[in-house]
Amino acid sequence: MRNLSFLSLAACLACQVTLFPAKATDWTSGMTEGKVTFQSMGPLAFGPEGILLVGDALSATVTAIATGDTEKAEGAKTIKVEAINVKLAGMLGVGADQILIDDLAVNPLSRKAYLAVSRGRGPEAKPILVRVGSEGMPEVVSLEKVKHAVAQLPDAPADDDSGRRNPRTESITDLAFFQDRVLIAGLANEEFASSFRAIPFPFKNIEGGTTVEIFHGAHGRFETRSPVRTFVPFTIGEEPHLLAAYTCTPLVQFPVKSLKPGAQIKGKTIAELGNRNRPLDMIVYQKDGKDYLLLANNNRGIMKIDASQIAGAGSIEDRVRGTGGVTYNTIDSWEGIRQLDQLDDAQALVLRATSEDSQNLESLALP
Amino acid sequence: MIGALAAHGLALMTSGAAPETDTPSPTLRWVAEGDPREAYVDVEGWDAGAPEKWETVLTVHVVHEDLHTALRTPPMLGSYQTTKGGVRFIPQFGLQPGLRYRATLKTEGKPLVVRFDVPRERTTPITVVSHIYPSSNVLPENLLKFYLHFSAPMSRGDVYDHIHLTDAEGKEVELPFLEIDEELWSPEMRRLTLFIDPGRIKRGVKPLEDLGPSLQAGSEYTLTIDANWLDAEGLPLKEAYQKTFRVGSPDRDPPNPTQWVIAPPKANTRDPLSITFPEPMEAALAKRLIRVAHVVGDVRLHDDERRWVLEPKDPWSPGEYKVMVPAIIEDLAGNNIGKRFEVDIFEKIDDPTTKPTVVSIPFRIGD
Repeated sequence: MRNLSFLSLAACLACQVTLFPAKATDWTSGMTEGKVTFQSMGPLAFGPEGILLVGDALSATVTAIATGDTEKAEGAKTIKVEAINVKLAGMLGVGADQILIDDLAVNPLSRKAYLAVSRGRGPEAKPILVRVGSEGMPEVVSLEKVKHAVAQLPDAPADDDSGRRNPRTESITDLAFFQDRVLIAGLANEEFASSFRAIPFPFKNIEGGTTVEIFHGAHGRFETRSPVRTFVPFTIGEEPHLLAAYTCTPLVQFPVKSLKPGAQIKGKTIAELGNRNRPLDMIVYQKDGKDYLLLANNNRGIMKIDASQIAGAGSIEDRVRGTGGVTYNTIDSWEGIRQLDQLDDAQALVLRATSEDSQNLESLALP
Repeated sequence: MIGALAAHGLALMTSGAAPETDTPSPTLRWVAEGDPREAYVDVEGWDAGAPEKWETVLTVHVVHEDLHTALRTPPMLGSYQTTKGGVRFIPQFGLQPGLRYRATLKTEGKPLVVRFDVPRERTTPITVVSHIYPSSNVLPENLLKFYLHFSAPMSRGDVYDHIHLTDAEGKEVELPFLEIDEELWSPEMRRLTLFIDPGRIKRGVKPLEDLGPSLQAGSEYTLTIDANWLDAEGLPLKEAYQKTFRVGSPDRDPPNPTQWVIAPPKANTRDPLSITFPEPMEAALAKRLIRVAHVVGDVRLHDDERRWVLEPKDPWSPGEYKVMVPAIIEDLAGNNIGKRFEVDIFEKIDDPTTKPTVVSIPFRIGD
């Protein structure tokens, strides 16, 4: 998903999260109208007013696109597209093995799903933005003439003068909009360094990355440079925080205000969710007046965490055997989840593998 | 045959109604004017008047042998352009070599169907693993990463399924690598970065206790790259690749440039400058980052990345020079200049802003 659960969070009194500043902002200021091209399409996230943020690791950019998809959806609707990868392959004229769905984000206004689709698996692969509404018919979103703004990430590798492309890239592992900033987690393919960036939005100047230092309970050491896999903003007390899930699998909180260029910040590890596992996506939602976190993993299924534990959670600073810290339930019935986002107050939208070569896009009632 | 026809830029595979009728009948044909991936479909002799939507009359599908997949495959996206005698369908995205496509035209009688095979440029696997860094056959127990280099662009998605690490008895090491969904490719997709899971390197940590280190000092291992990994053209590798290596003791000492030995070349020659390291350095970073200020030339690494060599573009002038070494370069264990990869929780962490980011080593070229 790499998207926030705006609806539930905005309505959430317990955690008092404000996703957008109270003052009126012209979110499209500085945007120009024209063709947008991508070398790659990585994480997607929605900002306010149907603005879609698209990470492009190969060109080291984040592009904000005013989709114009701003009509508020009425009522609860489900989405189900069986074998969406096979359908997309047919529409795009390739075999299903040449379709990769790299991310999924729901527009919180229209509740339409946006998919970052790669047509092809090699360097000539074409990134394509696809939209799916409740009628279940995927459509390619034209990027020929759209209002957009591009932020070039700092420290982007420059090609050398030999004519060869610089082999260094920095993958964008997750992306989210929070208040008036775009938050970006990244990982380089040469030096083992992960970064966390906060870019003011509308894009003006780009700040350098922040090194995030966590105490990894299960490892018993600082993981100074571990990559952030997925994160969500979450307010604890009155202080906006980020909850970040790392590879194998601590859950760490750190204050948003500490994200300053060049800063080295120390996060607080509040849960150790077990090793041999890779978190995929995380959402925050509200059910029966309580807040929950839902974390999708590659190996340990879907974890549901009662968020009321978080404010009072202790910091894990001793070595943990197995799991520790805040507790979770595993939602056994949700199998094969590859991508996760929140569709509305009561439903999640998932990309789910039903067999080795088939994936469904489907809405599921939040547990 | 298709390729030959395409090379002549002629129409391919025409279908028309039975010739014995007097009334003109529509014909349907594929046309490739060069690159068969850019083939399109022409309908001529259409006299039934333009339908409200050509999509209802003329469709193009990817052909699947498997009926289940065929039934779920929608028509391809493309544009319909009215021509003098009918209509032209131009696929929105190019055709995929190795696939068969089917154009169908509804007529008053039996529908016309014409198939088109897009030939592959080659059908014999030729892509190989060209090299694996580090080059040495003795690696430290806390090795941080491998680089897999390929002779041609590869395809992404599920790469970790094709990479295996086995011990001397042929037993597979469980989950030795940090599996990253984004897959750390170079932009040309000829190099994959493979990090060893830091949880399997660091001392006294949970994954290490559960599973043991990925690599154990004194043992021998083999890294195997399966031949069934597909290259960017969808063909498997020509052959599997194996790198067998012995594991030595862990390296916990940061690289120290004061121990590097610089061999200055003679003045007024284009002789190479060589720097010898006491230990192998991480290949990509050493090659990309170590520079001699104001000197342009080709950089190569020799002796299993123990020696850095610069062949200057212009002859050396006598005088003072400086080798510039960014502190983020790494040895094989990910130690940086002035910073060990592993930082103990009880160790004081220096203020990063006071650390030099580039170390310079002066040398002189005499008259």
